[in-house]
Amino acid sequence: MDHFPTHWGRPRNELDDQYNTFPLHQRPANHTDTFANGVQRTQQPIVTGTSVLAIQYKDGIMMAADNLASYGSLARFKDITRLHAVGTSTVIGASGDMSDFQHIQRVLDDIVTDEFTAGDGNSLGPAEIHEFLARRMYARRSKMNPLWNSLLVGGFQNGKRFLAFVDLLGTTYSAPSLATGYGAHIALPLLRQSIDPNPDAVTEEAAREILRNCMRVLYYRDARSLDKYQIATVTEAGVTISDTQKLDTTWDFAENIRGYGAQTQ
Amino acid sequence: MFLTRSEYDRGVNTFSPEGRLFQVEYAIEAIKLGSTTVGVKTPEGVVLAVEKRVQSPLLESSSIEKIMEIDGHLGCAMSGLTADARTMIDHARVTSQNHAFTYDERIKVESVTQAVCDLALRFGESVHDEDAMMSRPFGVALLIAGIDELGPQLFHTDPSGTFVRYEAKAIGSGSEAAQTELQDKWHSQMTLREAQTLTLRVLKQVMEEKLDHHNVQLAQVTPQAGFEILDEVRLKEIVDAM
Amino acid sequence: MPDGSYERPQQRQFNPYSENGGTILAIAGADFSVIAGDTRQSEGYSIQTRYAPKVFRLTERAVLAVNGFAADGNMFVKKVKQRLEWYRHAHAKDMPLRAIARLIQTMLYAQRFFPYYVYNILGGIEEDGTGAVYSFDPVGSYEREACRAAGAAQSLVQPFLDNQIYFKNQTPAPGTNHPTHLPLPDVLSIVIDSFTSATERHIEVGDGLEIYVVLAKGRSTQELASIGGLQELSTRAEGDRMFVIRRDLKKD
Repeated sequence: MDHFPTHWGRPRNELDDQYNTFPLHQRPANHTDTFANGVQRTQQPIVTGTSVLAIQYKDGIMMAADNLASYGSLARFKDITRLHAVGTSTVIGASGDMSDFQHIQRVLDDIVTDEFTAGDGNSLGPAEIHEFLARRMYARRSKMNPLWNSLLVGGFQNGKRFLAFVDLLGTTYSAPSLATGYGAHIALPLLRQSIDPNPDAVTEEAAREILRNCMRVLYYRDARSLDKYQIATVTEAGVTISDTQKLDTTWDFAENIRGYGAQTQ
Repeated sequence: MFLTRSEYDRGVNTFSPEGRLFQVEYAIEAIKLGSTTVGVKTPEGVVLAVEKRVQSPLLESSSIEKIMEIDGHLGCAMSGLTADARTMIDHARVTSQNHAFTYDERIKVESVTQAVCDLALRFGESVHDEDAMMSRPFGVALLIAGIDELGPQLFHTDPSGTFVRYEAKAIGSGSEAAQTELQDKWHSQMTLREAQTLTLRVLKQVMEEKLDHHNVQLAQVTPQAGFEILDEVRLKEIVDAM
Repeated sequence: MPDGSYERPQQRQFNPYSENGGTILAIAGADFSVIAGDTRQSEGYSIQTRYAPKVFRLTERAVLAVNGFAADGNMFVKKVKQRLEWYRHAHAKDMPLRAIARLIQTMLYAQRFFPYYVYNILGGIEEDGTGAVYSFDPVGSYEREACRAAGAAQSLVQPFLDNQIYFKNQTPAPGTNHPTHLPLPDVLSIVIDSFTSATERHIEVGDGLEIYVVLAKGRSTQELASIGGLQELSTRAEGDRMFVIRRDLKKD
């Protein structure tokens, strides 16, 4: 998906495929690099996850991501969990490089352990986790050695919902509905339509239905997605990450499509 | 008086059982050997005066430097081991210039005093990898005079790193008598001229030699001219009128 | 190559910067200062959020607007605030506006070879009670001005300000002069018009508007009485006073 007409018809470059989908080292370079022989600590994503979706609703927040980790266009791992609970009131969802995400999981789990061991009655909430991730992601980009992810951080603490974004550049923002990667183009308009006017009016049932529908749309449109996905909720009651669910999809319309491929009529 | 003090006055960082740091106290004693130095604050500015001990008729008295400029609005007079003051004044000057560079404003008198005092307790044995420290406390006390948005101010610092603001203060060998005299004569509505005369009178009382424009130095900080050391002509005029 | 090797090393430079749209603007009056920014944050054609503040209260009398790469902007504001707190501890007073301006220069220039990709506009009240605006480039060049726009719609807004604030290309009526400073209600109207126009004409501007108003000590607040969406930020009625006006902008 490329919105920039000036890019059409040209070789792909990193701008329109920033986190995902195609191993860059296999891609033809579309320019010569002046510093090709210099020392560089630049990185590229290898095994990648696609979109993560998240919304605020009446009781807290809900997040969804499919179970696929791709190696370029190869659907390499089909049972990967991209949602991760941090402590008892936060969940993070990751798109982008899966090994960087596993590094982040390890770092966060260590922090949660330390915090538990301190036993001072304090627990890190979603806002603190997000701030920590933002600092860490920004620090790594400033060393020109980024963690190649777009992350959503959601949670519920002290009666308040929290939902925010942070990416490999350290860019942060917050909104009632968020999506990374392809989801930001395809699912987010749908999410905004049903959530943003009044998140408090959305019940858990409705929220689940909205996310399922968006995951289905994404599965239809995003070639690096999978019909198996998980949904996480964070409410007063804590974090739950569902078992893998399968999307019910219809493909019989494909037979009626005319105009390309082998069909002539 | 010091004979009874035991091993606690050896290590510069060792407290005595009574909770005292003898080396710091000895350093404060060192100041009492220094030449008398007087500072007086008035609403019109601050005056600093020092006695220059001219030990030999062959000594060029103009080479004795006991009042120094820190910045355009800050001056400093010293008593004690004056060589130690160079380190402190260097630090004060750098601090002041850095402040002007970073904030485009003149540093406050108290801030520069604090910066100097931050140095005072950095003596003792340095731990591996730490910045090299000084081996002993400073043996000098300073009178720091200046003007900022809070008006004219006079600060006194000693080797313990303590600083206190004064209306008028004397340090050095004749300080006890001088301070009593200042307490007697100082009043809050003094003019700058009265302060100049007062500092010289106080010095005159505690000096062994006869005071003239060669064996004292006078400096002032005013809102109009900032810090200035009075030249011999102006000094002589004040001495003569005294 | 057929054997799986590469003809030459494949390199792809990681780009540590992004551009997050939006526009900021500040205008100084004789005894007040107005600092404003929209609240949209975007990347390319995507709106990331409709509410990400770009204007920040620094002290009782200073406001900083930050535009460009949002991650750098937020980090920069965080560090400026930290320096202001250290200064307060060291010198027992709030940092004056012109000192903040110089501090921002030194902080920006310290990153000369890996700059904060950020355009700053600092507004507030000087020690002498006059309204002031300072504008900066990403590496710290700065000057005091009467008004400045920066960001995505700078090229749309600045010419408008040149005309309305500096009266460029306007000839005064015979025997009269253009005023040096405009009254507060006129300034607020110009700010609001600037942003509604920029919202119409630039895709990266819109969603919400935050206008900070700093009034010099003792100045009447009368002219703000009828303004909608007004909230006072100052805690003391004596001294300088600060207000924020929040408005909606078109979201399309």
